[in-house]
Order: sequence, then C-alpha cells, then structure tokens
Amino acid sequence: MLSALQSPRSLSRFPLFHSSKPFLFHSSSHALSYASRTDQSTTTTSSSTSSPPQSQILTTRHSLLSRQLTATEVAESYLARLRLTEPQLNSFLHVSDSVLREAQDLDRRIANNEEVGPLAGVLVGVKDNLCTSDLPSTGGSRILEGYQPPFDATAVKRVKELGGIVVGKTNMDEFGMGSTTEGSAFQVTANPWDISRVPGGSSGGSAAAVSARQCMVSLGSDTGGSVRQPASFCGVVGLKPTYGRVSRFGLMAYASSLDVVGCFGSSVADAGILLHAISGHDRFDATTSKQDVPDFASHFAPASSLESKPLKGLRIGLIRETVEDGVESGVVSAIRAAALHFEELGCSVNEVSLPSFSLGLAAYYILASSESSSNLSRYDGIRYGKQVFADELSSLYGDSRAEGFGSEVKMRILMGTYALSAGYYDAYYKRAQQVRTIIRNSFKEALNQNDVLISPAAPSPAYKIGEKKNDPLAMYAGDIMTVNVNLAGLPALVLPCGFVEGGSAGLPVGLQMIGSAFCEGELLRVGHIFEQTLENCNFVPPIVADNSA
Amino acid sequence: MGSRVFLLKGVSYSSAMGNSFLTHSRRSFNYFGFPKVIVHHDRVRSCSSTKIQSSLPPPDVTRLAETARIALASNEVEEFAPKIQQVIDWFGQLQGVDLESIEPSIRADTENNNVRDDVPETFDDRGTMVASIPSYEEPYIKVPKVLNTE
Repeated sequence: MLSALQSPRSLSRFPLFHSSKPFLFHSSSHALSYASRTDQSTTTTSSSTSSPPQSQILTTRHSLLSRQLTATEVAESYLARLRLTEPQLNSFLHVSDSVLREAQDLDRRIANNEEVGPLAGVLVGVKDNLCTSDLPSTGGSRILEGYQPPFDATAVKRVKELGGIVVGKTNMDEFGMGSTTEGSAFQVTANPWDISRVPGGSSGGSAAAVSARQCMVSLGSDTGGSVRQPASFCGVVGLKPTYGRVSRFGLMAYASSLDVVGCFGSSVADAGILLHAISGHDRFDATTSKQDVPDFASHFAPASSLESKPLKGLRIGLIRETVEDGVESGVVSAIRAAALHFEELGCSVNEVSLPSFSLGLAAYYILASSESSSNLSRYDGIRYGKQVFADELSSLYGDSRAEGFGSEVKMRILMGTYALSAGYYDAYYKRAQQVRTIIRNSFKEALNQNDVLISPAAPSPAYKIGEKKNDPLAMYAGDIMTVNVNLAGLPALVLPCGFVEGGSAGLPVGLQMIGSAFCEGELLRVGHIFEQTLENCNFVPPIVADNSA
Repeated sequence: MGSRVFLLKGVSYSSAMGNSFLTHSRRSFNYFGFPKVIVHHDRVRSCSSTKIQSSLPPPDVTRLAETARIALASNEVEEFAPKIQQVIDWFGQLQGVDLESIEPSIRADTENNNVRDDVPETFDDRGTMVASIPSYEEPYIKVPKVLNTE
C-alpha cells in the first residue's frame, strides 16, 4: 500500500531531497528541470509509478540551508516557468519586479549564517483582494484599478516576516463574486489541466498558479468555496481555516461573517505550513481567536514512518446528500474510491445525512449578497479608487460605481439591497440567519458522531469557459458542496483524490474534508496520511510536465 | 409551496438538486402556508393593508439602483431585471420552511464574546493614505455639491 518510492526515514525533521548534487543553471531548460526535481510527483505524466507530493517549502529550506541551491536559483526557476506559461494561463494580474532582489538578500543572509524564517525562499502568490503595499490591489475590479494600499494585509505581512517572497497578485472574480474568474474585470484565467476550461473561482488565479508551479504556495480567500472549489478544479490542495483562525485585516470584505483567508499548496504539508505562518490573533481584527495556534508541522510525518493502519479508529462520515442525484457520476466514483482508501487506512466510514443541506445555498446567497451590498458601499470614488467626475455628489457616486463595478457585482448588490430593504428583512435575511442556525447545529451533531466529514468539493470537474457565464443560478448551484461550511464557520481541506475524463490528461476531482472548529491540525494530519498513501495518482498538469526538460 | 422553486436552464444536476430539496422539505418541515404569490410573481401587487400576510412586491431594479447609488443604464436594467427576479424567486424557497423558535445566527460564532476595547488607533502612514484620494485640498477631501433630491 505504501509506495516503494518513499524517501527513507530521515534523520532530520525534513524529508530528504532526492538529488544529492548541487544544481547550477544558466538557461531556462535547467530552471525547469529544477522544478521537476523538487516536485517529486513530477516525472512525466506517462509515468506509471509516481511518488506522492513532497513539501516544496521543506525541500527548498533543506536545499538552501545545506547550500545545495541558492534562493536566487530557485526564484529564477519559478519565474522562468511563470513567464513561459502565463500567456496561456493568465493567473497573475501583477508580477513583482523585486523577486530576485529579495532572493539575493536572502542568499546574503544565509551566507552570513543568519537565522532565516520557516518560509525562507518560498515563492508565494497572493490573491488580489489581499492588500499589498508594494503591488497594486484591485480585488479584480476596475473601481480599484491601479490602487496601491498604504498597508499590507496581516496575512501578507506574516508571510513576508517569515521569509516568504511575494511573486505577484493573482487573478480573481471581482470582489470574490464568482466561481470561474470570468467575473474578473481584467482577464480570464485558464485551467492548467485544459486551457479551454475554467480554473474555478473566485481564487482561480491562486489555484492555477500553484497547479502550474508558477509559485510554490498561494493565498486566497473563501466566502462560499472560493478556495476549495478552484483547488478541486486545478488538482491542488486548498485549505479553508476556521472563521477566526486567520486575520481578515487587509482582506477586501465581501461578506464579513463568511470570509476567511485560505491557503493553496501542491501538498497538504505546504498548505498546513503556510496556514501556520498566517494564523493567530491580530489586534486589527477583533473576530480573530485568541486561542493558541498548534504547531501543524508536527503532523507531517514521512509516509515511510506510518504503520499499516495509520488512521485506525478514525470515524469518517460521508455526507449522503453530496453523492446523490445531481452530482456527476465521475465525481461520485472518485469520492467513493476515496472512502475505500480511508477504510484501507483503518477508518470506519459511515454515511451521514444532513437534511438541511440544500437549504444552505439560498441562505448563503441571501446573506452574502446582503452583506456585500453593505460592504461594497465604501467604494464611492471619494477616498480611493476610480472617480468619475460629476458636478453633484450622488451622480459622482452613481457614475463611479456604475463604471467601476462589473455586472455580477452590480446584480449582487441590488439583490442584497432588496433583501435588506425595510419590510423584507424578516422574509429573507432573518430567515437565512435562522437556516444558518439549523446548519450549524446539524454539523455539530454530525461531528459528534464522526471525526471528519467528507464530500466532493464541487458537483462536477472544471467546465468550459463561457459555459455558465450567463446563467447565475446554474453557476450558484455549483457552490452547493461548499457554502454550508462557511455558514457554520468550520475548517475544511480539499485535496485531489482522483480524475474524470476530459482534457488531455483527465480532469482532477477534489475530496473535501470538514472538521470541527479550530481542528485544522487534525484535518491536516489525516489529509497528509491520505495523500501520502494514495497510489498511482500524479497531480501535475500537462502544461508543467510538457515544459520540463 | 410553488413548484418553481429553482429556475434553472439546461443543467440537469441543478434541477435534480431542487427536487431533492423539495423531497426533504416535505419530509422534514411544515409549510407556513405562505401565499403562492411569492413564486407566481405575475399575480402580485397587493396594495390592501388589511391583509395579514402581505405579498412582497417584485424587485424594482431602478429603485434599488438608486438606493444602492449605482447609475444603471437602461439596457442594464432590462438585462438585470429578469436575472434578479429569478434569483429572488429562488430565495423565496425559505418561505416554505418551518423556522418557528429557531434563533437567528448573526455569525458562525466559532468563538464567543470576542470583543476588543472600543478605543481608536491612529494609522501611522497618513501620507500614503492621503495620496490615494482623487480630489484633496489639505485638510479637506473635496466632493462636488450635494443636492437633496429626496
């Protein structure tokens, strides 16, 4: 069951980097081979045996500290691949021009034997709704075109403090409203598995960038599934923390009771290490928890050290309503196969029913559009962003917002305005909040009887660009698997578990694992074991494998 | 409860989901007996104030746009109105759910009583913040004249 290609038990905390000789490159082909070495799951897509993904963060750290590689070499490698694939993918809205300089600074510090943080040399993509003081932050919207905030979001600040290098700002649906990046005011991102398909959204750029190995890890945001669904569509790991685990300071608010900052990685370990870096109480966000953040890194044991039934005794609940009618059969098969894999690992898998499950979708859209209509009223063209000249104030507001906002944003603001109008509060917003209580309670009940709940992350794999663009309800329907988790504020981890037919190499399917509040550590531990023991699954898209030397 | 809870085109799984919702709600919830007016919106516009359960008029997109301070073009009003109507109808499915004695949740409440002191903090980079203002004349943020149209 455990792959024979596992790295031998390492004496140090970090898994061994397979290449023992140092790597010099002077051309882009070398740069790309570096990447295929660090990412152990890349040999070629036609390879019949593949090893599970290794942590890029840990292997990079090991290479840097053992002087096998310099941060500059690593950065050059990723930037070369970014430049090569960007014309097809359009994951980035802005690419930093100080990446190499920051890498060189780091190299100097390593050469001087100075201490470096746990994210040293790690290349991080940042969703454009997270404020960065040295790069534009548009939220995917024309109303903030060219806007450069005077501060960094707390999550970004912590990444930088711990040695991470921000590679650029990734594309997204405007203000987080959308599931495909077709709602971006600037460009549509393509799915690295099939460039005629969407990467998912709203954090589509962040997911595609990690999937295509344009950066190692990335930050996104998740209000109704905006990290988890693109993770599923792009075949990467997406982690949505508990509401209150990570500061939202500097995250452009969409729906304040639902938004969280989330992480993408090509392995569970990387998503977990990044989460640990950004988590914790922040005095600038009163909704952050004062609870200590456990050290997630201790959960990532090498697979070779695992016993034969490493998850013995763990109770897994498969949510029945998520594998019934209305979910593509290929997705259901992949999830059922994942359930079998859990059983092989020693878990007991039961079906659990959450009868209020489908109510959550309407409740979510009522709450999200209502809260967004309030949150987006700050974009008035007066204190920042684009201003359209007018000779009186309400026209200035009206015209600036009309020109600055895209259609989906306008529609959601109008729907929210309606739901919050005097006389309608009881019919819509209040009822949605009551549904929220029902959903919170049913999750609590289910998580009393199960340690982890599982479901697909989306009812289908990535669909074609343009397919759902003009049909709002069809697009909203795709969020059915993810919104309830936001309503309840729970943590969830999505990791790729299988494929369905489509594209040249198949389309990835993500498994969603839901845990109790503040139990990210448990999700990561279980997810890591699942991932490391999954056989014959290579989640590197053709666009990367084809471009490796 | 009206039959058109979910108005979706061409996507088989979505309508299946709508059906499974209906099955579940018949099993798990009582109906309030809300008027079907919610869904059959073409028969709406009750102006009588003596009705106990008043019908909710359909969204007036032009009026909503004024409230939301977005100057919609007339083609946008035409384009958005049916889509918004569709989604609002779909929201209406919550009317048929028995929510008697359920407390509303303002937020997920993953942690209780998380408050900070109500003390303002001064942002230290005022200069950069001021630089973002489109129209500024120290110390005023300039706006055009305000006309009271309402």
